[in-house]
Amino acid sequence: MRIITMTLLNNIPPAFLLIIGAFVLLILPARARKVGAIALAFFGVYAVSQLVEGSNVTPEFLGFDLTLLRVDSTSKSFGYIFTLSAFGALIFSWSERCRLQNTAALVYVGSALGVVFAGDMISWYLFWELMAISSTFLILARNNKRSRLAAQRYILVHLGGGLVLLTGILLTIHETGSIDFTKENIYQNTVAKNFILIGILINAAAVPFSSWLPDAYPESTIFGGVILSAYTTKTAVYTLVRGFPGEEILIPIGCIMAVYGIIYALLENDIRRILAYSIINQVGFMICGIGIGTKLAIAGVVASTFCSIIYTSLLWMAAGAVMYRTNKSKCTELGGLYKTMPITMVLVMIGALAVSGAPLTSGFISKTLITAAAEHQNYLWAWLALKVASAGIMLHTGIKFPFFVFFNVDRGLRSKEAPRAMIAGMSLMAFLCIYLGLNPGQLYSIIPNSDILVEQVSFYAIYIKHFDHVATKFQMLLFSGLSFFLFLPMLKRTRTISIDFDWFYRKGAKLLYSGIDKTFNSINRAAEHIVIKTFLPSLVKFIINAPASLTIMLFRPIWEESLSADKTNIKKREQKIISQFSSGTFPVAYSAIFILIFIAILIFLGRSLS
Amino acid sequence: MATKKKVTRKNTTTNKAKAKTKTPEETSPAMDNPYISASFWKAMWIICSISVLLEFFIHRHKHFEDLESSVLGNISNWFGFYGMFGLIACSGSILLAKGLSVFLKANEDYYDDTP
Repeated sequence: MRIITMTLLNNIPPAFLLIIGAFVLLILPARARKVGAIALAFFGVYAVSQLVEGSNVTPEFLGFDLTLLRVDSTSKSFGYIFTLSAFGALIFSWSERCRLQNTAALVYVGSALGVVFAGDMISWYLFWELMAISSTFLILARNNKRSRLAAQRYILVHLGGGLVLLTGILLTIHETGSIDFTKENIYQNTVAKNFILIGILINAAAVPFSSWLPDAYPESTIFGGVILSAYTTKTAVYTLVRGFPGEEILIPIGCIMAVYGIIYALLENDIRRILAYSIINQVGFMICGIGIGTKLAIAGVVASTFCSIIYTSLLWMAAGAVMYRTNKSKCTELGGLYKTMPITMVLVMIGALAVSGAPLTSGFISKTLITAAAEHQNYLWAWLALKVASAGIMLHTGIKFPFFVFFNVDRGLRSKEAPRAMIAGMSLMAFLCIYLGLNPGQLYSIIPNSDILVEQVSFYAIYIKHFDHVATKFQMLLFSGLSFFLFLPMLKRTRTISIDFDWFYRKGAKLLYSGIDKTFNSINRAAEHIVIKTFLPSLVKFIINAPASLTIMLFRPIWEESLSADKTNIKKREQKIISQFSSGTFPVAYSAIFILIFIAILIFLGRSLS
Repeated sequence: MATKKKVTRKNTTTNKAKAKTKTPEETSPAMDNPYISASFWKAMWIICSISVLLEFFIHRHKHFEDLESSVLGNISNWFGFYGMFGLIACSGSILLAKGLSVFLKANEDYYDDTP
């Protein structure tokens, strides 16, 4: 029996398990649906663990053999963390009543798993688009005007990015005839490669395509924010690990993202927007690692993604719990919550330490690998930028977020502690933060290139043997914290937002519209004035008067000779001719002369043409 | 002159003591000046100094040994580099953010009339 289930699970892509399960859940009553969703996510973790390395499940589509399951240590580690964080998030959302949200979330997680296990570019693209569509529902579910507009902008950006990606994929397939989702295949055509890279970077929230993330995620529901924070950007990181390891342009892109994330997170007032910028900062770290591209760097990227999903989820859950209890999300409205939400506070502190990379937490054992890789390759500037990034994240997510929510000024908020289900979800994530920090070997055994980390799998090797790393890391974090408190007056929040790149398609589009409106309408008005009001009337006047004027011009010399310049007489004759032309009444002789001239012209023209 | 100085010093200490004894319930929610206690500052400074002094007892491995000519590479091996780096990087980020806020800050209703 066990063998049968194992072989069955070997051949079922976990993506289908979750997506089909999500739609089945729609028809269940509330309680069964919630239990079912949690069970499904847990079963997802089990299903991923049962996958055997190699490629299989190859249905035919449009004459190509798709590969729905490409299993290796990279895809498996992403599979584990995607299902695990979905499990935690669904426990957290126990009190969530919305039928749509659970289904949308499970389809979203399922399609992210689809991308992770896709071995070809067609199924990658299909799951990629399904991710964009299903995640939009998590923003729409908030059901207010702001969220509807944010969802609209979100889906437009992602459909645009999807089209860029599709262009690259089609160009690659046209060039090579192969749909393999591998670096070798993507690098066959430079133009195609660049399209694919930009398409992925839009989803990774790379600067300047970054603003969709802080624009959309904070407008989602409480549960939606927790789910959204984990998948879109991390799936983009996965595809970069697959397709672009060692692509050097990613090093500066990653560094810029990391620093940009710090600056904006420091300026923000809304707690979930702070966390949104914190995601960009962390993804920048990973993208920089992919650009370095060595075995150590890639191991570091996968480990960082794994740990980052855990502590980011934890912090989004905590922000959600605070919002759930207080209905507030701004630093200027929150403060002093440590009195009434002490458990949430402790869990947030664990998340804050982990996100800062403090020793004994998961952040320390994952991010350090990427900085070490930068050092080994002598990328001095990248190393410094990564150090700035890890000091900065301590500042905005490690201290600013908990300080302004739980300490700072007591604003008289006396909300209850977070509901038990929320505490349970957060506790699971907090436990993982510390568990992985204390048992790095557990994480290192599932990530790719783990062979090079053989010497560093034990607690002793990391914390005792290399105590100098621990001490220097502590020193850096402490002084980062010190600068927070030294500059605290400068960090006092105001009720403002900060203008990001979305200005260009929000305000900019409006300006463009009014600019186009003004330019083209003024051209229209000028054209009307010149052509219709000036040119056409004068043309009509000319056509009416031309025959008479021409005739007068012909006769004037004759009249001047014969009438010896009698001006009044000449004037009379001119008037007579004009009136004859306007009424169309001519003496027969004149008509005959004109007809003769006309025939002569025709004969002349006919001759010269033949 | 000396007595005057003494008086002012006394005043400030009493003010501080008052601030300390103020219970959070008494502070109005509108007030937005976080009070950080002197003992917190003391603890912060002590821990920071300990983390620097710890460097005397550990053997730090050298960074960027291949880049001997690089000034920055060498600086990264200085005593107390990480503390200085954390302080400078964070203060720099805060000042940069503060400077950029002149251009980047907008009212919360800034985008209200846009799609």
